[in-house]
Amino acid sequence: MLTIENLKAAAGDKEILKGLDLQVNAGEVHAIMGPNGSGKSSLAHILAGREGLDVTGGSVSFNGNDLLELEPEERAAVGVFLAFQYPVELPGVNNTHFLKEALNAQRRNRGEEELDSVAFMKLVREKMELVSMKPELLKRQVNAGFSGGEKKRNEILQLTLFEPRLAILDETDSGLDIDALRTVSKGVNAVRSEERAIILVTHYQRLLDYIEPDFVHVLADGRIIRSGDKTLALELEKKGYNWITDSEAA
Amino acid sequence: MSNATELAEFTEREYEYGFVTDIEADSAPPGLNEDVIRQISGRKSEPEWLLEYRLKAFAHWQQMETPEWSSVHHPPIDFQKISYFAAPRKKDGPKSLDEVDPELLRTYEKLGIPLDEQKALAGVAVDAVFDSVSVATTFRKQLAEAGVIFCSISEAAQEYPDLLRKYLGSVVPHTDNFYAALNAAVFTDGTFVYVPKGVRCPMELSTYFRINASNTGQFERTLIIADDNSYVSYLEGCTAPMRDENQLHAAVVELIAMEDAEIKYSTVQNWYPGDEHGVGGIYNFVTKRGDCRGDRSHISWTQVETGSAITWKYPSCILRGDDSVGEFYSVAVTRGRQQADTGTKMIHIGRNTTSTIISKGISAAEGQQSYRGLVRIAGKAENARNYTQCDSLLIGDRCGAHTYPYIEVKNPSAKLEHEATTSKISDDQLFYCRSRGLSEEDAISLIVNGFCKEIFNELPMEFAVEAQKLLSVSLEGAVG
Amino acid sequence: MNQSEGTLIRRLVCDRHPEETIRDENPWLSVLKKEAASWISDMPLPNRKMEAWRYTPIEFINKTAFSLDAEEAPFEALDLIDIEELLIPGSESSDRIVFVNGRYAPGLSGLKTGNGITLHTLAGDSKLPSGFKRQIGHADLSGRFFFTLNNALMSDGAVIHVNQQGGERRRLELLHITVGMPDPVIHNPRHLVVLERNTSLELVERYTSLGKSTYFNNAVIDIHLSEESDLLHTRLQEESELAQHLGHLTVKLEAHSNYRQVSLASGAAWSRTEAQIIFNGEHAHAELDGLILAGSKQLNDVHLEVLHEVPNCTSREHFKGLLSSNGKIVFDGRILVARDAQKTEAALNNENLMLSRSAEVDTKPQLEIFADDVKCSHGATVGELDPGMLFYLRSRGIPKAQAERMLCTAFANEVVSCISETPIRDHAKRMVLQHLASEGETG
Repeated sequence: MLTIENLKAAAGDKEILKGLDLQVNAGEVHAIMGPNGSGKSSLAHILAGREGLDVTGGSVSFNGNDLLELEPEERAAVGVFLAFQYPVELPGVNNTHFLKEALNAQRRNRGEEELDSVAFMKLVREKMELVSMKPELLKRQVNAGFSGGEKKRNEILQLTLFEPRLAILDETDSGLDIDALRTVSKGVNAVRSEERAIILVTHYQRLLDYIEPDFVHVLADGRIIRSGDKTLALELEKKGYNWITDSEAA
Repeated sequence: MSNATELAEFTEREYEYGFVTDIEADSAPPGLNEDVIRQISGRKSEPEWLLEYRLKAFAHWQQMETPEWSSVHHPPIDFQKISYFAAPRKKDGPKSLDEVDPELLRTYEKLGIPLDEQKALAGVAVDAVFDSVSVATTFRKQLAEAGVIFCSISEAAQEYPDLLRKYLGSVVPHTDNFYAALNAAVFTDGTFVYVPKGVRCPMELSTYFRINASNTGQFERTLIIADDNSYVSYLEGCTAPMRDENQLHAAVVELIAMEDAEIKYSTVQNWYPGDEHGVGGIYNFVTKRGDCRGDRSHISWTQVETGSAITWKYPSCILRGDDSVGEFYSVAVTRGRQQADTGTKMIHIGRNTTSTIISKGISAAEGQQSYRGLVRIAGKAENARNYTQCDSLLIGDRCGAHTYPYIEVKNPSAKLEHEATTSKISDDQLFYCRSRGLSEEDAISLIVNGFCKEIFNELPMEFAVEAQKLLSVSLEGAVG
Repeated sequence: MNQSEGTLIRRLVCDRHPEETIRDENPWLSVLKKEAASWISDMPLPNRKMEAWRYTPIEFINKTAFSLDAEEAPFEALDLIDIEELLIPGSESSDRIVFVNGRYAPGLSGLKTGNGITLHTLAGDSKLPSGFKRQIGHADLSGRFFFTLNNALMSDGAVIHVNQQGGERRRLELLHITVGMPDPVIHNPRHLVVLERNTSLELVERYTSLGKSTYFNNAVIDIHLSEESDLLHTRLQEESELAQHLGHLTVKLEAHSNYRQVSLASGAAWSRTEAQIIFNGEHAHAELDGLILAGSKQLNDVHLEVLHEVPNCTSREHFKGLLSSNGKIVFDGRILVARDAQKTEAALNNENLMLSRSAEVDTKPQLEIFADDVKCSHGATVGELDPGMLFYLRSRGIPKAQAERMLCTAFANEVVSCISETPIRDHAKRMVLQHLASEGETG
């Protein structure tokens, strides 16, 4: 589904990704771990199409599309979803209105029929139960005044609502307590399927106890330096990132 | 609210630095015409081009009208009654402090600037301007080794005429405003600083000067050039003796920062504010402007103003170079019958420019203070950033604090934030301090210092201490 | 003073005989008009050198030969059906006072009797209560040119008197309709609203037009709030996009009175509001929220003065400007706190969102504080659409243009949502959407 070849990227003068390769197929869950500053979040943002990060080399192919050529909303329409680490607040924009507009825009883009209010509300309510989100949050402004946990849940609600092909979760577990973590994981696991791929960007191993990955990659200094299965994450937890970065350097 | 007796005591407090020196001053008779200007130029043996510059400015000044401002009031100034030149009688300049008139040195001691002590401890070079002529210049050799030129404008006209001619008037042209034109015509002296490429000036530079002879306008001219990749920090602090007639101070300060250069200009001003009837204080009408000419250049103005009867000054930055930075930090105290209309102008022209304005005003007794600021973002100034914070603290119920910010934006990528607040020291704050054992006066001093802390942090250390002391002294007895 | 400045408008004033348009019942009004006419000849025309006109160009007054309306107003020809498109859906049955081209149109108006509101008009038959002469006739020594012009040329106006205490708050719409004439016309309606002690009113003041036409609406409205009275004032400026609009507003608050204003200005090529909020009595409160829209070829200027002359009053003003294309916004908000006005709390905020490269905003919030036991603040911001917010919306599939529209609407909604009456709020929302749609946002 997703093929990243020799991806190089920079922010201004600073090189961030230095030749990253990754292959993600439908039905797989990949965890990308790495020390701070390794480029994990940057990778996530590049896939979603954020300005400010320049791709200086390499390619990204998604289901036959050249992903880097697409605008952010086009990427959403073809099924790429990024759950932000720090979801932005949109004062004055009603949450329900936003979700409906977004969903229908994506459907429109794909040539599918848009949902009317009744159908939409039915769908949203179903999904809210999956993520144990309070219905009041639907009436509020997008992320404004939400607690950290509520913001993350709002992101996962969107994940369940938009049903993307590729879901990238950027440090979704940061700042969450155990209960919130459980709820978020429940939502993610509920959307695992043969047609969907999930990339979990995370610093800590903890999330992977709840969402079991098929593959674990270590991203350090702009490249993936080691890949393995879920046991790799456990080793990292025990030995720390230096263990891998040192052995790679050796 | 205000205790009438205490306030009365406060306004009657003697101006600490008020006194007069008895040295014979060689003054020109009062009045202003072409002859006086030729005389000034002649006495200094100025090159022809400089005389022409003065005459041109004078001709222009004669066409201009005296400015009238809505929030500052003073009796009309008779420019023909002022003497434009006063110098102590001497034959040649002194070669070392030993040659300086001992009477003069005693003057400086009274002012609290013992040159000897400074020489030994702080290593600060002092270009002390006595009335209109430079008297002592110390440490020139050390600076010369670093390549830094630090001398009077008069000397620069003789020894570095090309440099002077290149930059003089390039930031504040004589056509800029009434007082700038006057200054360009009759400036008698001031400081010239040139820091060559890549040099970090090894010491803080400073100037102390005072006005002595009666009816002598003080028209100082300062020009500081920081070439590529250099750094200089300049301190300006002045005191003045008590006088009956109002004394006019119309200085011009021009700063030029080239690529990657930084100029830090700090001022502590404590000029005579006038007696309790508002009579006799200094009129401080100054034009100060910094040109961030080079990319990534940086100019910051820091000032603590507690004196003058009337203050009219707007240290400004023209942010021409890309990524250049302009800063303005100010604490202004007005008490008695003082009037201050001051602020800053930040003109954003280049790309990615940033300006920060933090202005703290404290008004007590019947002081009136206005902050007048301009932030202008030109059409091509991409990604400009400005943050402005103006806070006023009112002590007593007869004073006034006003804020007039002008914000003009022609580019949508600019991000500007401006905030202003006006308040008084709350009873809760006072009570809290006092319940912990502080006297009311100490409490006020503590709170006011906290109010101004951001600004004091920007001052070079020696000045910061002096400034804090000055602030406490200024507010003595202002308790309501 | 440059004699050629304002020649056209001065000639108009001189040529006009003030008595003609006001009937003899109110001779004092004729005297007032003549007096104002004589002042106009000596007054300097506003120009860039005056602080209050520093950023606002005024060339149109020199270039346009305005005329005054003929005696026979066109409203005779208008029926309710003609103005239906202008009425706010859901408020059709409200009490309404309609002015067409600056003149009262009784056929289009409707005011239920016995509900505590009395209406007089300046050109009407009935005599004005004597106390009101003073309200209307206050001599203006401040040298405001256009205000004096209105004094000299006013042809009609509403005098709205709310004098029944208690009961539900009455609602009244003051609807201005300008019908385009072949030549540019200047209209000078002059209104007075007086709320007696302990009364309340909701006033919806609107400026609209039929079709696109060129005209200059130089309107004055004075509001007097007696003790303990309460006014909810919605001002909607929906003038023709070719018109000029100058709205003078003065609100005087007596003790314990309350003034709440929500305003929205989206029309006119040149629009200026000069508002003065004056606190005459203690413990009064004023709150203003305004949305200023300036799009292609539009200039919108808000000059506001909040005068705290007495202690213990509070005021809060929040104005948001939205600029697109080559729109220009000028904002000047001055808070003045007099020496004895202790315990004043005043806050003023101006936020501006610029959507295009060729837009311009000049903002100047000011504080003049002469009392110390006060809490006063002001703030001003200028910026563009937050790229982080835009990206978030787009990453959820919302196309760029729609995302921009959503954020602009959210920006505007902060003010629009202050309108409590649903039909009016919906109408305001439509005004915003229409403006954004016609602009194409980024322009």
